[in-house]
Amino acid sequence: MANLEGLDTHKHLKDAFAEEAVTAYRYLYFAKIADIEGQPDVAQLFRDLAEGGICNAHGSLDYLRTEGDPLTGAPIGETDRNLHAALLAETGEFSDLYPSMAVVAHAEGFPDVASWFETLAKLKRAHVQQLREVIARLESSQASNEGVE
Amino acid sequence: MSCPDCSSKNGATGPYDASSITVLPGLEAVRKNPSMYIGSTDQEGLHRLVYEAVDNSIDESLAGYCSRIHVVIGRDGSCSVEDNGRGIPVDEHPEMACPACQVVLTTLHAGGKFDQGSYFRSAGIHGVGISCVNALSSWLELDVWRANGHYVQSYKVGQPTTALVRKHASERRGTRVRFMPDTSIFDTTQFDHSVLARRLEELAFLHPGIHIQFDDHRQSTSQVYQYDSGILGFIARLNSDRTPLHAKPIYIQLKGEQIELDLALQWTTAYGEAISSYVNSINTVWGGTHVNGLKRALNRSINAYAAKAGLLNADNGERIATFDILEGLTCVLSVRMFDPRFEGQTKTRLTSRYVRETVDEVVSLQLDAILTADPALARVVVGRALDASRARQAARRASDRARYTARDIHVSDEVYQKQFGIRSKTWHKSAVWIANEELLAEHAKMLKMPESARLLDVCCGSGVVGNSFGDRVAEKYGLDITPEMVALASQRLDKVVQGTVYDIPFPEASFDVVCTREVLHLLPNPGKPVSEIFRVLKPGGQFVVGQILPFSELDGPWMYRVFKKKQPLIFNMFQEEDFRQMLLGAGFVDLEMTEYNLWESIDVWIDTHETTSLHRHEIRDLFHNAPAEARAVHPFEILPSGEIRDLWRWCIFSVRKPE
Repeated sequence: MANLEGLDTHKHLKDAFAEEAVTAYRYLYFAKIADIEGQPDVAQLFRDLAEGGICNAHGSLDYLRTEGDPLTGAPIGETDRNLHAALLAETGEFSDLYPSMAVVAHAEGFPDVASWFETLAKLKRAHVQQLREVIARLESSQASNEGVE
Repeated sequence: MSCPDCSSKNGATGPYDASSITVLPGLEAVRKNPSMYIGSTDQEGLHRLVYEAVDNSIDESLAGYCSRIHVVIGRDGSCSVEDNGRGIPVDEHPEMACPACQVVLTTLHAGGKFDQGSYFRSAGIHGVGISCVNALSSWLELDVWRANGHYVQSYKVGQPTTALVRKHASERRGTRVRFMPDTSIFDTTQFDHSVLARRLEELAFLHPGIHIQFDDHRQSTSQVYQYDSGILGFIARLNSDRTPLHAKPIYIQLKGEQIELDLALQWTTAYGEAISSYVNSINTVWGGTHVNGLKRALNRSINAYAAKAGLLNADNGERIATFDILEGLTCVLSVRMFDPRFEGQTKTRLTSRYVRETVDEVVSLQLDAILTADPALARVVVGRALDASRARQAARRASDRARYTARDIHVSDEVYQKQFGIRSKTWHKSAVWIANEELLAEHAKMLKMPESARLLDVCCGSGVVGNSFGDRVAEKYGLDITPEMVALASQRLDKVVQGTVYDIPFPEASFDVVCTREVLHLLPNPGKPVSEIFRVLKPGGQFVVGQILPFSELDGPWMYRVFKKKQPLIFNMFQEEDFRQMLLGAGFVDLEMTEYNLWESIDVWIDTHETTSLHRHEIRDLFHNAPAEARAVHPFEILPSGEIRDLWRWCIFSVRKPE
């Protein structure tokens, strides 16, 4: 396929990915409520639709895979690239995105929402740590394999 | 032969002998993959061995041949289950060329239950039953009293080590299985007395008249469960510490050809719902089609009655939602049926579709009639649901307003006064931590001040924290925002003042010690109260504060959601580092911290007016579907009864105001 760089279609694929991903997770949330309300048929419908939504999101990602991570723009595809893209995104969320959201929430008078963002930021910090460890382990085992050859 | 040609009231036809045992091989598979057959190899799986053995006896009772079951946990940790049923057949099996009882014990899916002629309703797990128990036991001893004889046979890890021997003549009938769970299979082989006792009592309620004796030789206890009251007695037991809204439970029954149903309903002043459902006496913890049918029927009948009685606001199309109807409901639903379909091997959710329609139809029909015939009862039941529905709407509006006022400074005192004022009545029962002596002692242990000290317990609630310092301080003051709590705390503390922690009504340097517990997370801008506490402390004075904190950042977001759904007034999900920073940032020094972990019943904790019915369900769901990263650091357990126990990490901090 021709290069998508800078074209509307590239943006549209990212939009379609986000749209379907958001749809899927909304439906899973709705399904739980339908379950609680005692409407299992509706819950099942939402779950089925969500499953489809995830498949659809992945369909757009099939195209985007060769273009770069829809979230960070970093190259993705193989696991080592995917790990680095994940690390990049989680780092941004921990160091910038959620802390700045917390600041705004405090300023606008929503301390509970601010606390939620701060809680997420801390979780992301733990994720960064986990990703770094996995990446380091893979790189060192790769290095030692190369050493053997 | 002692076995009569059976034609029981429950529809058993033809003789129960070797020819009625169907054989499907493959016992080795059970040892290779035990979880596939008994669900898990933890204590729940271990208990399943007992249930399987007991279910066989229950089956005999359902077929009309057994009236007594005797369960014994031996001092050596073995289990024995004995009944006075017909005894497992001992004659030669026509195809297998060995005694039928040996076929039953060594062959998967061998049992009377695959032959519908023998049993109408069957409890055990897809008939794997007793052979699974045998396969997963290091040894098993079988005693059969049948055909004028007493027969015995021994097994090791599922294989016979002796032939079946007729020891002597006997007029008795019955079966006894004694087994020792295999330590190489199970994570633990310690039976939990209370879990087994609870299940046996449940079975006694579900099978009125049956006599179940439970002896636990490890603790020298013996208990008999026998009830003629059936599920009505069961409801009374379940509601023993709740306050029913109507004296007599609603009772609905169906005795059909294909399905039998027993249903008892009683609403109480509690907030949670307690639906216990059974299919062929298996506890369907996750409900399923029978429970869904019940919910649908309740919704239809109660809305129909409310509409007919003109209780609903027709202008805005008011309708009572199912979870408002379920609020405060205690219910036992027992279904007996042919060939039930379940999701998963441990049978916790019924999936047979037609059951939903049947239950729905039967329950709505009978409930409509009951409500119409008893207007006083109808007023209580429908009124309860309507109250819940309107309270939920009001709560939603109130939380919208709380959100709006949050823009200004902080939530008004009124909101706190209302929330905690209502709760004051049941304060000590609303969670384990509130009156837990050990936890209180951990706070008191922190004290470093002389006996002449003057103490202030802020947001003191019932005053238990201040009170825990006993006579190690000279004077104990309390401060709380609600008049109800001020009255309560006055019974424990020397002087209690009504007021807010944002503006403590005492001059600077008034106290040697200030204590509080599990309060700061409820306050927007918690730095303000902390600096107020700093202000009223004398130089060198001590602040002792307990707080429930996440185990790490990994369970933070999950815990945030659980706690926020329980208590909408939560403004901060502190983590340890935040809390330390807040204290040190206020100018305190000499920070020390101890940890104390305490198990809490989530079901009790969320049974409060602060938590809407929807939120209660969502909280339970958060435990059932907790993310792996939260589970990795945060211990909790979901008991076979569905009850959730959560371990809370209490961090008790001590800091001092510099000299």
